[in-house]
Amino acid sequence: MNKTILNIIRFVALILFQVFVVNHIRLGGYVHPYVYVIFVMLLPINIPNWQLLLSGFGIGLAVDLFCGTPGLHAGATTFMAFCRPFILDLLSGHQKYENVQSPNLNQLDGIWFVKYTSCMVLVHHLFLFVAESFSFRLFGQVLLRILISAPVSVFLIMMILYIFKSDKKRDSR
Amino acid sequence: MQELLDFIKKHHFVILFILLEVISLLLLARSQNFQKQRVISTTNDVVGKFSEWGSEIGNYFRLSKANKQLAEENAFLRQQLAVVVDTTSNSYVINERDTIYEYIPAQVVKNSINQANNYIIIDKGRVDGIERDMAVISSEGLVGVVADVSKHYASIISLLHSNSVIGVRFQNNQEIGSLVWETNNYKYGIVKDIPTHVVLQQGDTVLTNSWSYIIPEDLMVGTVEELYLSSKGDLNNAKIKFASDFATLRHVYVIKDLYKSELDSLRMNQN
Repeated sequence: MNKTILNIIRFVALILFQVFVVNHIRLGGYVHPYVYVIFVMLLPINIPNWQLLLSGFGIGLAVDLFCGTPGLHAGATTFMAFCRPFILDLLSGHQKYENVQSPNLNQLDGIWFVKYTSCMVLVHHLFLFVAESFSFRLFGQVLLRILISAPVSVFLIMMILYIFKSDKKRDSR
Repeated sequence: MQELLDFIKKHHFVILFILLEVISLLLLARSQNFQKQRVISTTNDVVGKFSEWGSEIGNYFRLSKANKQLAEENAFLRQQLAVVVDTTSNSYVINERDTIYEYIPAQVVKNSINQANNYIIIDKGRVDGIERDMAVISSEGLVGVVADVSKHYASIISLLHSNSVIGVRFQNNQEIGSLVWETNNYKYGIVKDIPTHVVLQQGDTVLTNSWSYIIPEDLMVGTVEELYLSSKGDLNNAKIKFASDFATLRHVYVIKDLYKSELDSLRMNQN
């Protein structure tokens, strides 16, 4: 129950942060980082698959509502949620995560987390920017946008995770 | 039946994934239909209100720049007024037929420049007389066209939209072309299909032409930045610097054509 409330708070906070702060970052028009993907990244590892997909779809739809892009973010986050079990499996070397409830920086090392974040962000951005242009007409532009935005997203996400890391330690005590 | 249920249970992850993706892509496809553009969620009054709160905070930080822009515009208008008064010195009455456009001032409450399809939301809507297909300008130049209207808000298809095509004319030589945006840089657009004999200088003024029933003629669009010669030697393209600064857009004017209904009915009769 406690976990559910934490996830709901995270859901609302990340949407507000994305819409009112991150969406206003403008560096030359190419860069558009998306940090709300943290929500899907930090969901419990043994969450039922259907909950994982619906959670992803839900946050995407909420962001869509504010950005005026029906279906765009929802599609991208659903795709990311779908890929998550495979990415987790790949990164663990096909082993189970023992004693780890959800991906966190206290139990899993930083390098692992950068890899995990990069994979998730890349999957999300790939779907998002291709769907946004809605054609392969400007594919070069789309690739450029992905390659520039993704590192910025990963950097911001890692910063946010490190900022909130210390809080979690206190909770677990 | 039992087998079907077992199948669904076994593959529910993939089935639910496909179902959700189909819903997303249907929503997306519907919003991509440029001719029947309905940006329902963004013109929704609730989201509009939210965005307004957000932009009010931003407004405080841009006050000095906004002031300066408005002052410059004021000065320019006074100058124009002086010209009008001078040339019609024997009569101060402006012919009623001359005022065919009404300018409705509005504030931008939401704007983006780094999507492939950018929309602007303004704080004036149906009750203020805004309708679809009205042109929107800033004090510097053309901004976009009204796509959808709710009671108190309107959404505008920015020039920074991958499907935006604007008929333009070069002021110096009256040659025409069509302006598009290639989704990369919010400062520059491309004018396509310029005949090879046309000579352009950097800084040449680009205005709207008379092709459109929606956008009035002779609105400032931007200036020529660079001419790209075609490798095939047929039609050239030119890089255009937009006159409007889309990144700091605050005050805009919606242009209401007072004779639009008359023109529309004439066109209907033709068809």
